[in-house]
Amino acid sequence: MLELNWGLPVIGYLFLAGVGAGALTVSSSVLLRGGGGGFGGDNVKIARYGALLAPPLLIIGTGMLILELGTFQAAVEHGDFWRLFRFINLFLTINLSPMSIGSWILAFCILASLAYAYTFIAQGVEADEKTVNLRRGLAWIGVPLGIAVAVYTGVLLGAMPARPFWNTPVLAFLFLMSSLSTGVAAILLLKAIFGGNSHAPESEPMDGGQFAKSAYLLAASDTLLIGFEVLVIFLFIMFGLLTIGNSAQAMAVILPGGDLAGLFWGGVVLVGLILPVLVELKYVIPTLLHHRPFAMPRSVEITVCLVVLIGGFMLRYVVVIAGQVTGPMGI
Amino acid sequence: MTYHDRNISRRDMVKAAGFGAAVATTAVAAPMAARAATAPGHQVQYAMVIDVRKCIGCQACTIACKTEFEVPLGKHRSWVEAVEKGTYPDVSRSFLPRLCNQCSEPQCVDVCPTGATYKREEDGIVVVDEETCIGCKYCMQACPYDVRFINPRTGTADKCDFCLHRVANGLEPSCVNTCQGKARIFGDMNDPTSEVSKLIAKNPVTVLRQEMGTEPNVYYIGADHADEADIRFANQYVRVDTNRPDEERR
Repeated sequence: MLELNWGLPVIGYLFLAGVGAGALTVSSSVLLRGGGGGFGGDNVKIARYGALLAPPLLIIGTGMLILELGTFQAAVEHGDFWRLFRFINLFLTINLSPMSIGSWILAFCILASLAYAYTFIAQGVEADEKTVNLRRGLAWIGVPLGIAVAVYTGVLLGAMPARPFWNTPVLAFLFLMSSLSTGVAAILLLKAIFGGNSHAPESEPMDGGQFAKSAYLLAASDTLLIGFEVLVIFLFIMFGLLTIGNSAQAMAVILPGGDLAGLFWGGVVLVGLILPVLVELKYVIPTLLHHRPFAMPRSVEITVCLVVLIGGFMLRYVVVIAGQVTGPMGI
Repeated sequence: MTYHDRNISRRDMVKAAGFGAAVATTAVAAPMAARAATAPGHQVQYAMVIDVRKCIGCQACTIACKTEFEVPLGKHRSWVEAVEKGTYPDVSRSFLPRLCNQCSEPQCVDVCPTGATYKREEDGIVVVDEETCIGCKYCMQACPYDVRFINPRTGTADKCDFCLHRVANGLEPSCVNTCQGKARIFGDMNDPTSEVSKLIAKNPVTVLRQEMGTEPNVYYIGADHADEADIRFANQYVRVDTNRPDEERR
Protein backbone atom coordinates (compact mmCIF):
# COMPACT_ATOMS: atom_id res chain seq x y z
CA MET A 1 0.00 0.00 0.00
CA LEU A 2 1.21 3.43 -0.85
CA GLU A 3 1.07 5.95 1.89
CA LEU A 4 -0.95 8.98 0.87
CA ASN A 5 0.88 12.20 1.61
CA TRP A 6 -2.26 14.25 1.19
CA GLY A 7 -5.37 12.67 2.65
CA LEU A 8 -8.86 13.68 3.66
CA PRO A 9 -7.92 17.10 5.10
CA VAL A 10 -6.55 18.20 1.74
CA ILE A 11 -9.52 16.71 -0.13
CA GLY A 12 -11.84 18.45 2.30
CA TYR A 13 -9.99 21.71 1.84
CA LEU A 14 -10.14 21.50 -1.94
CA PHE A 15 -13.86 20.86 -1.75
CA LEU A 16 -14.81 23.41 0.91
CA ALA A 17 -12.57 26.18 -0.38
CA GLY A 18 -13.76 25.37 -3.88
CA VAL A 19 -17.41 25.78 -2.89
CA GLY A 20 -16.57 28.86 -0.82
CA ALA A 21 -14.58 30.50 -3.61
CA GLY A 22 -17.27 29.60 -6.11
CA ALA A 23 -20.00 31.00 -3.86
CA LEU A 24 -18.02 34.24 -3.41
CA THR A 25 -17.49 34.62 -7.16
CA VAL A 26 -21.11 33.85 -7.98
CA SER A 27 -22.45 36.05 -5.19
CA SER A 28 -20.27 38.96 -6.28
CA SER A 29 -21.22 38.49 -9.92
CA VAL A 30 -24.92 38.35 -9.10
CA LEU A 31 -24.61 41.50 -7.02
CA LEU A 32 -22.71 43.38 -9.71
CA ARG A 33 -25.08 42.18 -12.40
CA GLY A 34 -27.74 44.01 -10.43
CA GLY A 35 -31.40 44.44 -11.22
CA GLY A 36 -30.61 44.61 -14.91
CA GLY A 37 -29.57 40.98 -14.95
CA GLY A 38 -33.07 39.60 -14.80
CA PHE A 39 -33.00 39.13 -11.06
CA GLY A 40 -35.42 41.93 -10.42
CA GLY A 41 -34.85 43.07 -6.90
CA ASP A 42 -33.78 39.62 -5.90
CA ASN A 43 -30.11 39.87 -6.76
CA VAL A 44 -29.01 41.28 -3.41
CA LYS A 45 -30.93 38.56 -1.55
CA ILE A 46 -29.19 35.88 -3.59
CA ALA A 47 -25.82 37.59 -3.28
CA ARG A 48 -26.37 37.58 0.48
CA TYR A 49 -26.57 33.78 0.61
CA GLY A 50 -23.25 33.44 -1.16
CA ALA A 51 -21.65 36.21 0.86
CA LEU A 52 -22.56 34.59 4.17
CA LEU A 53 -21.59 31.12 2.95
CA ALA A 54 -18.12 31.89 1.57
CA PRO A 55 -16.13 32.89 4.71
CA PRO A 56 -17.04 29.89 6.92
CA LEU A 57 -16.35 27.45 4.09
CA LEU A 58 -13.03 29.09 3.22
CA ILE A 59 -11.98 29.28 6.87
CA ILE A 60 -12.98 25.71 7.76
CA GLY A 61 -11.26 24.44 4.60
CA THR A 62 -8.07 26.33 5.35
CA GLY A 63 -8.20 25.07 8.93
CA MET A 64 -8.30 21.50 7.65
CA LEU A 65 -5.26 22.26 5.53
CA ILE A 66 -3.32 23.24 8.64
CA LEU A 67 -4.27 19.90 10.24
CA GLU A 68 -2.42 18.14 7.41
CA LEU A 69 0.85 20.02 8.02
CA GLY A 70 3.64 17.81 9.29
CA THR A 71 4.78 20.45 11.77
CA PHE A 72 1.26 20.81 13.18
CA GLN A 73 0.93 17.06 13.66
CA ALA A 74 4.37 16.83 15.27
CA ALA A 75 3.56 19.80 17.51
CA VAL A 76 0.40 18.11 18.76
CA GLU A 77 2.22 14.84 19.31
CA HIS A 78 5.16 16.32 21.20
CA GLY A 79 3.30 19.15 22.90
CA ASP A 80 5.42 21.78 21.19
CA PHE A 81 3.20 24.85 21.35
CA TRP A 82 5.10 27.19 19.06
CA ARG A 83 5.47 24.59 16.36
CA LEU A 84 1.68 24.72 15.96
CA PHE A 85 2.10 28.10 14.31
CA ARG A 86 4.95 27.13 12.01
CA PHE A 87 2.66 27.72 9.03
CA ILE A 88 3.25 31.44 9.59
CA ASN A 89 6.47 30.87 7.61
CA LEU A 90 4.25 30.82 4.53
CA PHE A 91 3.59 34.50 5.04
CA LEU A 92 7.15 35.55 5.77
CA THR A 93 8.08 35.09 2.13
CA ILE A 94 6.66 34.86 -1.33
CA ASN A 95 8.09 32.89 -4.22
CA LEU A 96 6.92 31.31 -7.44
CA SER A 97 5.70 28.14 -5.75
CA PRO A 98 1.98 27.75 -6.47
CA MET A 99 1.50 27.06 -2.78
CA SER A 100 3.21 30.32 -1.80
CA ILE A 101 1.18 32.40 -4.22
CA GLY A 102 -1.91 30.39 -3.33
CA SER A 103 -1.51 31.02 0.39
CA TRP A 104 -1.39 34.75 -0.17
CA ILE A 105 -4.38 34.64 -2.51
CA LEU A 106 -6.27 32.49 -0.03
CA ALA A 107 -5.47 34.86 2.83
CA PHE A 108 -6.65 37.88 0.86
CA CYS A 109 -9.72 35.99 -0.31
CA ILE A 110 -10.69 35.11 3.26
CA LEU A 111 -10.22 38.71 4.38
CA ALA A 112 -12.20 40.07 1.44
CA SER A 113 -14.98 37.51 1.93
CA LEU A 114 -15.19 38.40 5.62
CA ALA A 115 -15.50 42.09 4.81
CA TYR A 116 -18.00 41.34 2.07
CA ALA A 117 -20.08 39.19 4.44
CA TYR A 118 -19.89 41.94 7.06
CA THR A 119 -21.59 44.39 4.72
CA PHE A 120 -24.53 41.99 4.58
CA ILE A 121 -24.57 41.36 8.33
CA ALA A 122 -24.22 45.00 9.38
CA GLN A 123 -27.06 46.07 7.13
CA GLY A 124 -29.75 44.01 5.52
CA VAL A 125 -30.72 43.83 1.89
CA GLU A 126 -31.82 47.46 2.15
CA ALA A 127 -28.60 49.23 2.98
CA ASP A 128 -27.51 52.85 2.99
CA GLU A 129 -25.51 54.22 0.11
CA LYS A 130 -22.15 53.97 1.83
CA THR A 131 -22.61 50.27 2.58
CA VAL A 132 -23.90 49.59 -0.92
CA ASN A 133 -20.81 51.19 -2.42
CA LEU A 134 -18.52 49.23 -0.10
CA ARG A 135 -20.40 46.07 -0.96
CA ARG A 136 -20.01 46.67 -4.67
CA GLY A 137 -16.34 47.49 -4.27
CA LEU A 138 -15.72 44.28 -2.36
CA ALA A 139 -17.69 42.35 -4.96
CA TRP A 140 -15.31 43.68 -7.63
CA ILE A 141 -12.45 42.22 -5.57
CA GLY A 142 -14.39 39.05 -4.76
CA VAL A 143 -14.83 37.92 -8.35
CA PRO A 144 -11.13 37.69 -9.27
CA LEU A 145 -10.09 36.44 -5.81
CA GLY A 146 -12.68 33.65 -5.86
CA ILE A 147 -11.60 32.58 -9.33
CA ALA A 148 -7.95 32.77 -8.28
CA VAL A 149 -8.50 30.50 -5.26
CA ALA A 150 -10.32 27.97 -7.43
CA VAL A 151 -7.66 28.05 -10.14
CA TYR A 152 -4.51 28.01 -8.01
CA THR A 153 -5.40 24.63 -6.47
CA GLY A 154 -5.40 23.10 -9.95
CA VAL A 155 -2.12 24.82 -10.81
CA LEU A 156 -0.64 23.57 -7.54
CA LEU A 157 -1.48 19.96 -8.32
CA GLY A 158 -0.71 20.33 -12.01
CA ALA A 159 2.82 21.65 -11.64
CA MET A 160 4.59 18.33 -11.11
CA PRO A 161 5.82 15.91 -13.79
CA ALA A 162 6.29 13.41 -10.96
CA ARG A 163 2.49 13.26 -10.63
CA PRO A 164 1.41 12.60 -14.23
CA PHE A 165 -2.29 12.29 -13.41
CA TRP A 166 -2.33 15.90 -12.22
CA ASN A 167 0.22 17.19 -14.67
CA THR A 168 -2.16 18.85 -17.11
CA PRO A 169 -3.18 22.49 -17.47
CA VAL A 170 -6.79 21.38 -17.89
CA LEU A 171 -6.93 20.42 -14.21
CA ALA A 172 -6.98 24.06 -13.09
CA PHE A 173 -9.88 24.76 -15.42
CA LEU A 174 -11.70 21.64 -14.22
CA PHE A 175 -11.38 22.83 -10.64
CA LEU A 176 -12.62 26.28 -11.62
CA MET A 177 -15.71 24.87 -13.34
CA SER A 178 -16.39 22.58 -10.40
CA SER A 179 -15.95 25.46 -7.95
CA LEU A 180 -18.37 27.69 -9.80
CA SER A 181 -21.01 25.00 -10.30
CA THR A 182 -20.82 23.85 -6.67
CA GLY A 183 -20.86 27.52 -5.63
CA VAL A 184 -24.08 28.07 -7.55
CA ALA A 185 -25.50 24.84 -6.12
CA ALA A 186 -24.67 25.91 -2.57
CA ILE A 187 -26.38 29.27 -3.05
CA LEU A 188 -29.40 27.63 -4.68
CA LEU A 189 -29.54 25.15 -1.81
CA LEU A 190 -29.64 27.92 0.80
CA LYS A 191 -32.23 29.75 -1.26
CA ALA A 192 -34.35 26.60 -1.52
CA ILE A 193 -34.12 25.93 2.20
CA PHE A 194 -34.52 29.47 3.55
CA GLY A 195 -35.99 31.38 0.65
CA GLY A 196 -39.27 29.55 0.25
CA ASN A 197 -40.68 27.77 -2.77
CA SER A 198 -39.44 28.77 -6.20
CA HIS A 199 -42.47 27.11 -7.69
CA ALA A 200 -44.34 29.95 -9.39
CA PRO A 201 -48.07 29.91 -8.78
CA GLU A 202 -49.91 28.57 -11.81
CA SER A 203 -51.89 31.75 -12.23
CA GLU A 204 -48.85 33.97 -12.34
CA PRO A 205 -47.47 34.92 -15.75
CA MET A 206 -43.97 33.90 -16.72
CA ASP A 207 -42.29 37.12 -15.66
CA GLY A 208 -44.39 37.52 -12.58
CA GLY A 209 -42.58 35.61 -9.84
CA GLN A 210 -39.24 37.25 -9.21
CA PHE A 211 -38.25 34.44 -6.96
CA ALA A 212 -38.96 31.84 -9.59
CA LYS A 213 -37.04 33.88 -12.09
CA SER A 214 -33.91 34.14 -10.03
CA ALA A 215 -34.09 30.42 -9.29
CA TYR A 216 -34.31 29.88 -13.03
CA LEU A 217 -31.23 31.97 -13.67
CA LEU A 218 -29.26 30.09 -11.06
CA ALA A 219 -30.39 26.67 -12.26
CA ALA A 220 -29.73 27.62 -15.88
CA SER A 221 -26.23 28.88 -15.12
CA ASP A 222 -25.53 25.76 -13.07
CA THR A 223 -26.58 23.67 -16.06
CA LEU A 224 -24.24 25.63 -18.28
CA LEU A 225 -21.35 25.30 -15.83
CA ILE A 226 -21.88 21.56 -15.48
CA GLY A 227 -21.94 21.35 -19.25
CA PHE A 228 -18.55 23.03 -19.35
CA GLU A 229 -17.35 20.68 -16.64
CA VAL A 230 -18.38 17.68 -18.71
CA LEU A 231 -16.44 19.15 -21.62
CA VAL A 232 -13.33 19.71 -19.50
CA ILE A 233 -13.52 16.17 -18.10
CA PHE A 234 -13.80 14.93 -21.67
CA LEU A 235 -10.65 16.88 -22.57
CA PHE A 236 -8.92 15.65 -19.42
CA ILE A 237 -9.56 12.02 -20.31
CA MET A 238 -8.87 12.48 -24.02
CA PHE A 239 -5.56 14.12 -23.23
CA GLY A 240 -4.63 11.08 -21.17
CA LEU A 241 -5.95 8.58 -23.69
CA LEU A 242 -4.42 10.01 -26.83
CA THR A 243 -0.94 10.66 -25.51
CA ILE A 244 1.49 7.91 -24.69
CA GLY A 245 3.67 7.54 -21.67
CA ASN A 246 3.18 8.71 -18.14
CA SER A 247 -0.11 10.56 -18.65
CA ALA A 248 -1.76 7.67 -20.43
CA GLN A 249 -0.52 5.21 -17.83
CA ALA A 250 -1.77 7.35 -14.96
CA MET A 251 -5.14 7.98 -16.60
CA ALA A 252 -5.76 4.24 -16.68
CA VAL A 253 -6.58 4.38 -12.98
CA ILE A 254 -9.93 6.05 -13.69
CA LEU A 255 -10.68 4.28 -16.96
CA PRO A 256 -12.74 1.09 -16.93
CA GLY A 257 -10.74 -1.55 -15.13
CA GLY A 258 -8.82 0.98 -13.05
CA ASP A 259 -8.92 1.06 -9.26
CA LEU A 260 -10.84 4.34 -9.12
CA ALA A 261 -13.02 3.79 -12.18
CA GLY A 262 -16.17 3.07 -10.15
CA LEU A 263 -15.79 6.16 -7.99
CA PHE A 264 -14.99 8.32 -10.97
CA TRP A 265 -17.68 7.18 -13.40
CA GLY A 266 -20.31 6.51 -10.74
CA GLY A 267 -19.57 9.24 -8.22
CA VAL A 268 -18.18 12.09 -10.30
CA VAL A 269 -19.67 11.66 -13.76
CA LEU A 270 -23.02 9.96 -13.15
CA VAL A 271 -24.05 11.34 -9.74
CA GLY A 272 -22.16 14.61 -9.88
CA LEU A 273 -22.69 15.67 -13.48
CA ILE A 274 -25.10 13.64 -15.62
CA LEU A 275 -27.87 13.22 -13.06
CA PRO A 276 -28.12 16.88 -12.00
CA VAL A 277 -27.70 18.20 -15.51
CA LEU A 278 -30.54 16.00 -16.79
CA VAL A 279 -32.87 17.04 -13.98
CA GLU A 280 -31.98 20.70 -14.40
CA LEU A 281 -32.50 20.49 -18.14
CA LYS A 282 -35.94 18.99 -17.59
CA TYR A 283 -36.98 22.16 -15.77
CA VAL A 284 -34.80 24.71 -17.55
CA ILE A 285 -35.59 23.79 -21.18
CA PRO A 286 -39.35 24.53 -21.05
CA THR A 287 -38.56 28.00 -19.73
CA LEU A 288 -35.64 28.54 -22.05
CA LEU A 289 -37.28 27.41 -25.27
CA HIS A 290 -41.02 27.76 -24.69
CA HIS A 291 -41.10 30.58 -22.13
CA ARG A 292 -43.17 28.51 -19.75
CA PRO A 293 -42.96 29.39 -16.07
CA PHE A 294 -40.00 27.89 -14.29
CA ALA A 295 -41.40 25.33 -11.93
CA MET A 296 -38.80 23.29 -10.11
CA PRO A 297 -40.26 21.83 -6.94
CA ARG A 298 -38.38 22.68 -3.78
CA SER A 299 -37.59 19.03 -3.03
CA VAL A 300 -36.08 18.56 -6.49
CA GLU A 301 -34.12 21.78 -6.09
CA ILE A 302 -32.65 20.63 -2.79
CA THR A 303 -31.86 17.17 -4.16
CA VAL A 304 -30.14 18.49 -7.27
CA CYS A 305 -28.02 20.90 -5.24
CA LEU A 306 -26.98 18.18 -2.80
CA VAL A 307 -26.10 15.88 -5.67
CA VAL A 308 -23.98 18.56 -7.33
CA LEU A 309 -22.17 19.16 -4.04
CA ILE A 310 -21.56 15.44 -3.55
CA GLY A 311 -20.21 15.31 -7.10
CA GLY A 312 -17.87 18.19 -6.34
CA PHE A 313 -16.52 16.35 -3.33
CA MET A 314 -16.14 13.13 -5.28
CA LEU A 315 -14.21 14.97 -7.98
CA ARG A 316 -11.67 16.28 -5.46
CA TYR A 317 -11.52 12.88 -3.78
CA VAL A 318 -10.86 10.93 -6.98
CA VAL A 319 -8.38 13.47 -8.35
CA VAL A 320 -6.35 13.75 -5.15
CA ILE A 321 -6.21 9.98 -4.59
CA ALA A 322 -5.60 9.12 -8.26
CA GLY A 323 -2.70 11.56 -8.48
CA GLN A 324 -0.97 9.92 -5.55
CA VAL A 325 -1.47 6.26 -6.39
CA THR A 326 -0.05 6.75 -9.87
CA GLY A 327 3.43 7.83 -10.82
CA PRO A 328 5.89 7.94 -13.66
CA MET A 329 6.53 4.67 -15.43
CA GLY A 330 9.79 2.87 -14.89
CA ILE A 331 12.68 4.05 -12.79
CA MET B 1 23.27 26.27 9.83
CA THR B 2 24.51 23.71 12.24
CA TYR B 3 26.25 21.42 9.82
CA HIS B 4 29.72 22.40 10.92
CA ASP B 5 28.87 22.05 14.59
CA ARG B 6 28.17 18.37 14.45
CA ASN B 7 30.77 16.29 16.21
CA ILE B 8 32.86 14.06 14.10
CA SER B 9 34.08 10.94 15.75
CA ARG B 10 37.75 10.65 16.59
CA ARG B 11 38.08 7.67 14.32
CA ASP B 12 36.82 9.71 11.41
CA MET B 13 39.20 12.53 12.20
CA VAL B 14 42.16 10.20 12.27
CA LYS B 15 41.01 8.65 9.03
CA ALA B 16 40.54 12.03 7.43
CA ALA B 17 44.01 13.08 8.45
CA GLY B 18 45.45 9.89 7.05
CA PHE B 19 43.45 10.25 3.89
CA GLY B 20 44.53 13.83 3.49
CA ALA B 21 48.16 12.81 3.80
CA ALA B 22 47.64 10.14 1.18
CA VAL B 23 46.09 12.69 -1.12
CA ALA B 24 48.98 15.03 -0.66
CA THR B 25 51.50 12.41 -1.61
CA THR B 26 49.75 10.46 -4.34
CA ALA B 27 47.45 13.17 -5.71
CA VAL B 28 44.48 10.82 -5.67
CA ALA B 29 41.41 12.98 -6.14
CA ALA B 30 39.29 12.72 -3.04
CA PRO B 31 36.31 15.00 -2.43
CA MET B 32 37.96 17.24 0.11
CA ALA B 33 41.16 17.48 -1.89
CA ALA B 34 39.17 18.30 -4.98
CA ARG B 35 37.53 21.20 -3.24
CA ALA B 36 40.74 22.45 -1.75
CA ALA B 37 42.64 22.18 -5.01
CA THR B 38 40.13 23.90 -7.24
CA ALA B 39 40.60 27.40 -8.52
CA PRO B 40 38.46 30.26 -7.22
CA GLY B 41 35.21 30.56 -9.11
CA HIS B 42 35.06 26.82 -9.61
CA GLN B 43 31.50 25.62 -9.07
CA VAL B 44 31.52 22.48 -6.99
CA GLN B 45 28.76 20.01 -7.76
CA TYR B 46 28.98 16.98 -5.56
CA ALA B 47 27.84 13.81 -7.22
CA MET B 48 27.78 10.11 -6.55
CA VAL B 49 28.51 7.26 -8.88
CA ILE B 50 27.01 3.94 -7.87
CA ASP B 51 28.67 0.98 -9.53
CA VAL B 52 25.81 -1.47 -9.27
CA ARG B 53 28.08 -4.30 -10.48
CA LYS B 54 29.93 -4.03 -7.20
CA CYS B 55 26.83 -3.79 -5.00
CA ILE B 56 26.13 -6.97 -3.05
CA GLY B 57 22.93 -5.71 -1.43
CA CYS B 58 24.32 -5.94 2.09
CA GLN B 59 22.41 -2.83 3.24
CA ALA B 60 25.47 -1.57 5.14
CA CYS B 61 24.89 1.87 3.58
CA THR B 62 21.26 1.81 4.70
CA ILE B 63 22.34 1.06 8.25
CA ALA B 64 25.22 3.55 8.23
CA CYS B 65 22.79 6.23 7.09
CA LYS B 66 20.24 5.23 9.71
CA THR B 67 22.80 5.48 12.49
CA GLU B 68 24.44 8.63 11.17
CA PHE B 69 21.18 10.56 11.31
CA GLU B 70 19.12 8.49 13.74
CA VAL B 71 16.55 8.22 10.97
CA PRO B 72 13.20 7.32 12.58
CA LEU B 73 11.83 3.81 12.28
CA GLY B 74 10.19 3.13 8.93
CA LYS B 75 11.86 6.09 7.19
CA HIS B 76 14.96 6.01 5.00
CA ARG B 77 17.31 8.61 3.62
CA SER B 78 19.04 5.95 1.60
CA TRP B 79 18.07 2.37 0.94
CA VAL B 80 18.86 -0.53 -1.38
CA GLU B 81 16.23 -2.06 -3.62
CA ALA B 82 16.49 -5.54 -5.06
CA VAL B 83 15.37 -6.22 -8.63
CA GLU B 84 14.56 -9.78 -9.69
CA LYS B 85 13.89 -10.43 -13.33
CA GLY B 86 13.20 -13.32 -15.67
CA THR B 87 12.21 -16.98 -15.36
CA TYR B 88 14.57 -19.79 -14.56
CA PRO B 89 17.12 -20.35 -15.99
CA ASP B 90 17.21 -16.87 -17.59
CA VAL B 91 17.19 -14.81 -14.48
CA SER B 92 18.95 -11.91 -12.86
CA ARG B 93 18.98 -10.29 -9.48
CA SER B 94 20.57 -6.94 -9.01
CA PHE B 95 20.47 -4.13 -6.53
CA LEU B 96 19.61 -0.50 -6.83
CA PRO B 97 20.89 1.73 -4.04
CA ARG B 98 18.68 4.77 -3.74
CA LEU B 99 19.21 8.21 -2.27
CA CYS B 100 18.46 11.85 -3.03
CA ASN B 101 19.76 12.67 -6.50
CA GLN B 102 20.75 16.24 -5.52
CA CYS B 103 19.29 17.27 -8.86
CA SER B 104 20.61 20.20 -10.84
CA GLU B 105 16.98 21.09 -11.62
CA PRO B 106 15.36 20.13 -8.34
CA GLN B 107 11.59 20.29 -8.56
CA CYS B 108 11.32 20.08 -4.77
CA VAL B 109 13.05 23.47 -4.63
CA ASP B 110 10.71 24.91 -7.25
CA VAL B 111 7.57 24.00 -5.33
CA CYS B 112 8.72 24.78 -1.78
CA PRO B 113 6.45 27.61 -0.60
CA THR B 114 8.69 28.80 2.23
CA GLY B 115 12.11 28.49 0.63
CA ALA B 116 13.04 25.90 3.26
CA THR B 117 14.43 23.62 0.59
CA TYR B 118 17.20 25.06 -1.52
CA LYS B 119 20.20 24.04 -3.55
CA ARG B 120 23.43 25.17 -1.96
CA GLU B 121 25.47 27.28 -4.34
CA GLU B 122 28.78 26.25 -2.84
CA ASP B 123 28.46 22.52 -3.43
CA GLY B 124 25.17 21.85 -5.24
CA ILE B 125 23.68 19.87 -2.38
CA VAL B 126 19.91 20.21 -1.94
CA VAL B 127 19.11 20.77 1.72
CA VAL B 128 16.07 21.34 3.92
CA ASP B 129 16.14 24.08 6.52
CA GLU B 130 14.48 22.42 9.47
CA GLU B 131 13.61 25.77 11.03
CA THR B 132 11.74 27.10 8.01
CA CYS B 133 9.97 24.00 6.71
CA ILE B 134 6.30 23.77 7.66
CA GLY B 135 5.80 20.16 6.59
CA CYS B 136 3.31 20.81 3.79
CA LYS B 137 4.57 17.73 1.88
CA TYR B 138 4.48 19.52 -1.46
CA CYS B 139 8.12 18.57 -2.08
CA MET B 140 7.28 14.94 -1.32
CA GLN B 141 4.68 15.05 -4.08
CA ALA B 142 7.02 16.79 -6.49
CA CYS B 143 10.02 14.50 -6.04
CA PRO B 144 10.04 11.86 -8.79
CA TYR B 145 12.31 9.67 -6.66
CA ASP B 146 10.26 9.49 -3.48
CA VAL B 147 13.33 10.24 -1.41
CA ARG B 148 11.64 12.67 0.95
CA PHE B 149 9.73 11.94 4.10
CA ILE B 150 8.28 13.74 7.06
CA ASN B 151 10.52 13.29 10.06
CA PRO B 152 8.07 12.45 12.86
CA ARG B 153 10.31 14.14 15.42
CA THR B 154 10.17 17.56 13.81
CA GLY B 155 7.26 17.23 11.42
CA THR B 156 9.44 18.71 8.70
CA ALA B 157 10.62 17.30 5.40
CA ASP B 158 13.80 15.28 5.60
CA LYS B 159 16.03 13.57 3.08
CA CYS B 160 19.58 12.62 2.17
CA ASP B 161 21.94 15.61 2.11
CA PHE B 162 25.09 13.77 1.01
CA CYS B 163 26.08 13.87 4.70
CA LEU B 164 26.72 17.58 4.46
CA HIS B 165 28.08 17.75 8.01
CA ARG B 166 30.73 15.19 7.07
CA VAL B 167 31.47 16.47 3.58
CA ALA B 168 31.88 20.03 4.84
CA ASN B 169 34.54 18.69 7.18
CA GLY B 170 36.45 16.82 4.53
CA LEU B 171 34.93 13.39 5.03
CA GLU B 172 33.05 11.18 2.65
CA PRO B 173 29.33 10.54 3.14
CA SER B 174 28.62 7.81 5.62
CA CYS B 175 27.23 5.39 3.02
CA VAL B 176 30.32 5.79 0.83
CA ASN B 177 32.57 5.37 3.82
CA THR B 178 30.91 2.11 4.80
CA CYS B 179 30.30 0.55 1.39
CA GLN B 180 31.77 -2.98 1.45
CA GLY B 181 32.21 -3.41 -2.28
CA LYS B 182 33.30 0.20 -2.91
CA ALA B 183 30.23 0.52 -5.10
CA ARG B 184 29.50 4.06 -3.99
CA ILE B 185 31.95 6.71 -5.11
CA PHE B 186 31.62 10.36 -4.15
CA GLY B 187 33.22 13.51 -5.49
CA ASP B 188 33.02 16.79 -7.36
CA MET B 189 31.50 16.30 -10.78
CA ASN B 190 32.83 19.58 -12.07
CA ASP B 191 36.41 18.62 -11.33
CA PRO B 192 37.65 16.56 -14.29
CA THR B 193 40.29 14.91 -12.15
CA SER B 194 37.87 13.60 -9.57
CA GLU B 195 37.11 9.91 -9.28
CA VAL B 196 33.45 10.44 -10.17
CA SER B 197 34.31 12.44 -13.28
CA LYS B 198 36.67 9.72 -14.44
CA LEU B 199 34.15 6.98 -13.81
CA ILE B 200 31.43 8.88 -15.64
CA ALA B 201 33.80 9.42 -18.56
CA LYS B 202 34.95 5.84 -18.74
CA ASN B 203 31.64 4.03 -18.27
CA PRO B 204 28.16 4.06 -19.73
CA VAL B 205 26.19 5.69 -16.96
CA THR B 206 22.46 6.14 -16.39
CA VAL B 207 20.37 8.23 -14.08
CA LEU B 208 16.92 7.52 -12.67
CA ARG B 209 13.89 8.89 -14.47
CA GLN B 210 15.86 11.11 -16.80
CA GLU B 211 12.62 12.07 -18.60
CA MET B 212 11.55 14.03 -15.52
CA GLY B 213 14.09 16.66 -16.48
CA THR B 214 15.55 16.92 -13.00
CA GLU B 215 19.19 16.47 -14.11
CA PRO B 216 20.14 14.09 -11.29
CA ASN B 217 23.66 14.02 -9.87
CA VAL B 218 23.60 10.38 -8.84
CA TYR B 219 24.89 8.19 -11.64
CA TYR B 220 24.60 4.44 -11.95
CA ILE B 221 26.89 2.02 -13.71
CA GLY B 222 25.21 -1.21 -14.75
CA ALA B 223 21.87 -0.48 -13.10
CA ASP B 224 18.83 -2.56 -14.05
CA HIS B 225 15.99 -0.11 -14.60
CA ALA B 226 13.36 -2.86 -14.73
CA ASP B 227 10.23 -1.90 -12.83
CA GLU B 228 7.10 -3.85 -12.03
CA ALA B 229 4.87 -1.05 -13.26
CA ASP B 230 6.77 -0.55 -16.49
CA ILE B 231 4.86 -1.90 -19.47
CA ARG B 232 8.14 -2.74 -21.20
CA PHE B 233 8.46 -5.60 -18.74
CA ALA B 234 4.85 -6.70 -18.90
CA ASN B 235 5.73 -10.15 -20.25
CA GLN B 236 8.67 -10.55 -17.89
CA TYR B 237 8.67 -11.68 -14.32
CA VAL B 238 9.85 -8.60 -12.49
CA ARG B 239 9.82 -8.24 -8.77
CA VAL B 240 11.14 -5.19 -6.98
CA ASP B 241 11.85 -5.38 -3.27
CA THR B 242 11.94 -1.81 -2.11
CA ASN B 243 12.97 -2.94 1.37
CA ARG B 244 10.89 -0.09 2.71
CA PRO B 245 7.44 0.11 4.31
CA ASP B 246 6.22 1.45 0.95
CA GLU B 247 6.35 -1.81 -0.92
CA GLU B 248 5.81 -0.17 -4.29
CA ARG B 249 8.03 2.26 -6.01
CA ARG B 250 6.38 5.55 -6.59
